[in-house]
Formats: sequence, C-alpha cells, structure tokens
Amino acid sequence: MPGQVALTIDPATLASLAAEIPRGAVLVTGSNGKGTTCRMLAQVMRAAGLHPIVNEEGSNQQSGLATAMVAHSAMTGHLPADRQAMGLFEVDEGSLPEILRHICRPRALVFTNIFRDQLDRYLEPAYTKVLLERAMQTLPASTALVLNADDPRIACLAPGLSNPRIYYGMDDTDPGREAADPTSDFPRCPRCDGELSYTCVYYAHLGHWKCQGCGLARPQPQVSATKVDLMGPSSAHLQVVTPTAESVLEIPLPGLYNAYNALAAVAAAEECQLPDRSFSAIERISAGSLRMEKVQVPGHDVYLALAKNCNGYTEVLRAILGDRKPKRVLLGLNDFPGKQPDTSWIWDVDFASLTGLVTAPVVCGNRAADLAVRLKYAGWIETSHDAYLAVEPDPVRAFKLALARTPPGQPLWVVSTSVVLGQLRHWLRRQGYVKEVWRQQGGPARWRA
Amino acid sequence: MAGMKISLGYLYPDIMATYGDRGNVETVVRRCEWRDISVAVTELRLGEAIVPKSLDLIMIGGGGEAQQRLIAPDLYKVKGAGIREAVDLGAGALAVGGGYELLGRFCQLELGAELPGVELFDAWTMRQSAVLGDHSGTISDVRADRAIGELVVRWGATLLVGFENHGGGTYLGPTARPLGQVLTGHGNNGDGTEGAIRGNAVGTHLRGPCLPKNPALADFLIGAALTRRYGAADLPPLGDDLERAAHQAAMQRALGDGRTMHGKLRRAALAKTGLAHVRAGR
Repeated sequence: MPGQVALTIDPATLASLAAEIPRGAVLVTGSNGKGTTCRMLAQVMRAAGLHPIVNEEGSNQQSGLATAMVAHSAMTGHLPADRQAMGLFEVDEGSLPEILRHICRPRALVFTNIFRDQLDRYLEPAYTKVLLERAMQTLPASTALVLNADDPRIACLAPGLSNPRIYYGMDDTDPGREAADPTSDFPRCPRCDGELSYTCVYYAHLGHWKCQGCGLARPQPQVSATKVDLMGPSSAHLQVVTPTAESVLEIPLPGLYNAYNALAAVAAAEECQLPDRSFSAIERISAGSLRMEKVQVPGHDVYLALAKNCNGYTEVLRAILGDRKPKRVLLGLNDFPGKQPDTSWIWDVDFASLTGLVTAPVVCGNRAADLAVRLKYAGWIETSHDAYLAVEPDPVRAFKLALARTPPGQPLWVVSTSVVLGQLRHWLRRQGYVKEVWRQQGGPARWRA
Repeated sequence: MAGMKISLGYLYPDIMATYGDRGNVETVVRRCEWRDISVAVTELRLGEAIVPKSLDLIMIGGGGEAQQRLIAPDLYKVKGAGIREAVDLGAGALAVGGGYELLGRFCQLELGAELPGVELFDAWTMRQSAVLGDHSGTISDVRADRAIGELVVRWGATLLVGFENHGGGTYLGPTARPLGQVLTGHGNNGDGTEGAIRGNAVGTHLRGPCLPKNPALADFLIGAALTRRYGAADLPPLGDDLERAAHQAAMQRALGDGRTMHGKLRRAALAKTGLAHVRAGR
C-alpha cells in the first residue's frame, strides 16, 4: 500500500531507491518456491553480515517491492547509508519485465522453475518463458543468471546472452524416478523442439534430461545435491557441493521442492561470494506464512500448506504422505470468480498414487464440488462410499469437521489454494490460536494491517 | 456388461495436455470400470498412425499455438484419414480446444500462416491475431484477445457446463452441425453456436475438463464406443451425486444465484428454453 502511494506520487520511486542500495539487488523469480528461496537466502545473507532488504512473501509485484523500499527509507526519502545493505526481492514471473525497468541492473537473477500456473492468467508455460526471455534482453552483461539445470525451460533461458551462468541441480538419483511423472506437461527441447528423454525424473519435468533430436542436455550444475534424504513430513537432509565447499544441511522443511529451494539459495549465495560457512544458516529457516506453518489448537497440531497449482499441490501432498503412513488432511480448492475460473489443473495433480493414504478426507472451498469429483475419479472413494468423503464448502465449518474426525493428539494437515487458507488463518487468528502475526525479519512488517 | 471391452485412442498425450484434459480420458476409463467394461488405452504420439477399425473412441485434448504447430503436420498427414474413417465407421470422438480446431478444415494462426486441418468437421478457426496482425505484448493484451469464462451449452435436453479459454473464433460451414447452443459464454465465435458434432464425434471449446462434470456427454461417448464394437449399448446408470453437485455448482457460477438482476435475466432466458429444471445426466 505505501509502495502504491509512493509510485503514484513519483513513478521513479522504485528505480531511484533501488539504485541507492550499495550492494545491489538479487531478484528471485519462477513459478514455485521463490518466496521460500528468498527467506533461505535472507538467512544466509544475515549470517554473512549483510542486511537484506526484502519484500513480504507474495507481495511480489511492483507495488510490493516499492513498499519494501519505502519502509526502509528514512524521512529524507533516501535509504539510510548502510554499506551492508543488499536487496533481495521475490518477483512475480509475470511482473519481471516491469520490475526490470526499475531495477535494471540486478546483481543476480535467480530462476526456480516454470510450471503450469494460472493458465487463465499466464496462458501457458511456453509463453511465460518467452516473456522472461524478452525481459532479460535489457540486462547488463554483469548480471549473473542463477539457473535450475534440472528444468529444461530454465536451464537454457535466453541462450544468446553472454551473462555469467551458475547452475544448480540434483545429482543424487535415489529420490528420483525412472518413468515420467504424471504431473509433467512434457516440455520440448528448448533448442530444436525435439522430444526430451530422462535418465532420472525428480518431479514434474525436473530431472536429468537430454534431447533425443539435437543432443542438447542438462548442464552439469556447479552447485549440486549429492545426497538427499527426505525425512518425512517435516524435514529433509541435503549434502550440497559447491566449487569451494561441501556441506550437509538439515532443512526443517519437507519434500524435494524445498531441497530445490535450498539449492537455489546456496547457488545465489555462492554467486554473491558469501562465505561458505554462512550456508548453514539455511537450517534456521522457519516455515513461512502458510508454508507448512504450524498452528496449535487444543489437542492437535495443525499444518497449513499453500498449494497454488498442479505441481505445488502434488509436491505438498507427496511431502506430507511420502512416508506412506495414512494421515488426516483437509483439502481446499477455490477459484477467483469472474477473474480466474480455471481449476482444471486438479486433474493433473497426482492424487492417484496417494490413494488410501488420507483417512476420511474433507474437502472445502468454493470449488469443493469439483475437488470431490476429482478425488472420486482418482479412486479416493468408491462409488458406494460417497458419504465417506465430506464436502463442506465453508472453510471454517470444514476445518471443525476435519478436526472432529481427527483422533485426539494426531496432527491435521490443511492443503489448499490461497483464499480458503487465508479465511481459515484469519479465523484461527481471531480464535487466538495463531499467537503472533508472522512477519519476515527485517521486512516491512510494520505496514501490516 | 461384464467382459465387454472397448479401445480408446488417446492422441498426443504428451503434447495436447495443457488443460487437465487427461481428466476426460480418466473419466471415460473409470465410468467404464464401474460398469465392468474394460478400456484399452492406446497412446498415439507423433509419427504413429491410426488403424481405423481398431478404435472405438478417439480423444484429443487442448493445447496452445506452439502445440498446434507441432502436431498439425502429423495430424494432417499421418492420422487424418484414419480419424475420418474411424468416425465414419461409428467410433466416438472427443476433441477439445486446440484439438477441436485442428479437426476442422484449417486453423489460421496469423495472416498468411495457416495450419491445415483434418476436415472431419466443416469448420475453420481464425485467431484474433490473424485478423489484427501481430499483437504480441503484455499479458493483458493477450487476455483481451481471448474468450475466457464460464460456458453453458444446450445439447439436446441436456445442459453442458465448463469454461472456455480460446482466442479468435471457430466458424461452421454449411454442412457442419453445432454441438449445441450457447446459453452463457462465447462459444464458437459469439454467434450462439458451440462446438460441432458429426456422427459420434464431438468437438468443443468446453474445458474444465468437460467430461467429469458432464457425465451425460461421457456416457454418450461410451455408448457410441460400445455400439460401434457390439452393435448396441445399454449403460446402467451410476451414482452420480458428486458429479451432479459439481454440475449444479457450475450452473450457479455461470448463471448467478437468481438474486442479482444479471442472474434474474439469465434465469428468465433459461426458463424460456424449458430447460431450467433439467439436471446433469438426465
């Protein structure tokens, strides 16, 4: 909000304040994981003695960045003199062109991945890629590109640019699969449009890829995970090798997707020449708002997990249910009426492989009926047992129902799109279960309502 | 039904799969399984031809222009004749979005760039950019060129629900029959028609994917496939409570709740058709 006001008064606010940051800015963009990657990298920066200026998770368009800058500036309208200050901004992939017009000389540009996301907004992944590449044409040659080697859409972004490139990826093939992931949308070769083959798939289209036509293959990452242990629904262990160091990270966040976020953060830290010993600060990351955020209600631990698209939903469920032990989960689905009516992506979520792992599922949200049908066709309920699955569009009523169905002492996971989770979290806060408003350290928390 | 078997040809599952359209295939397979009918799904990729007599049902999903460019030559040269012959032999078919557009006579992506179609339907598609010239730019520009929103179609005595997201328009020639009439949304090109039907082959812009929420259409295709294989089909009804609820919810979204002026007008228009009481799958 303050950012919007500042931009209205002076559209150059963002550009002029950004230019004042002594150590420049790192921008993190992509479909999934940019917020968590930023929070991990912020920990590393602080451990290295820097003072990162960050935007609030999800406030990742122009006004959100401006708000972060304005919150840091003094009464004079300038940033306070601080030689250790460095910008670290999560950027909505659709807003990158606009952001790069203001922050036109970023120190590094970190890309996480490109998945199908909000098709009624971004249309299709191929278009997102074109949009990013077009925006990158104005970058100075000094801006480093930090790229996910395992995502063929990211690894070969803007091949004509001579900017330095640093790749990160997984080398441990144990957590991968040999066959294609049903959630993949099968991107083609970025050079010749040929068919890609994989020797190892981690999830969706991320893995060790090679073009059957022209032979273009995944670049060997400079920052790689040589050992990945997924430790169930709350943590993951990683052995990370960089050109200068080898470290073991115990991340208190689950799933392969968070392992990728950690790799992206380490690669960006490596690029910014932060000392190796600061990497372990990633272990201090806590779950962000709605990112496996733990809330305690009487008798139960509740975990709130935001899942915005097909791959997010699948990976969050896989992280929770990966140990194949049945659990209690409330699933939500909402659309944005009139703006984004598309929820077709739930048909690409890999519910089928998790059949039987969610006991007495409850579904909610304004598209609960669609989700219920989806689960039925994935085999979560058989035709004669429709009653076993509870459909309750209202998030709070559904939450109470799911809690009542959960045996005392057992945790309840809530996996959902944003509106449902927002309503539920708001209610939990009013009940006093969410003790404090989650805020990003050093962030513009004081502007929060 | 026990022991019955149909074969389903699933075209370009790795390319034409942008909009959850594999859900259409899953719906057919599950609704057959629940009736003890087994379905053999054959994935037909680039370079793989169609043996018309072997297929009872053909399905192709949607995709963007890049995907259309990729499959168009293969569809035209390798699979086109087989698709037409299979449909003439009575096979069912469902083509959605970009797949539907390529089963017409041609698809004009921009001025001077025309993808040849299979000519199953006497229809053609012209993108907005074909009319306006290159209009690349921001996301909002692209959105402005597209029909995005809820789509409700009257198909005989049944209402089909879904959403649409397509650029430009599909135009029907003199020998084409539309699938149905638009009650809400844009449809083929805004002229009140939506989709096309020839024999048991259905082309439509309905997404969502369209079969899970429209079990009547799913059963029409399954019935066509069984009839083509066994000469007759007698499908026992399924407990479609969840499907009907999703259909009703979609209707409500599309038509409003009847309290707003907008919703009242829509409902009044619907009442005139005598279909206000019609429910999914009936």
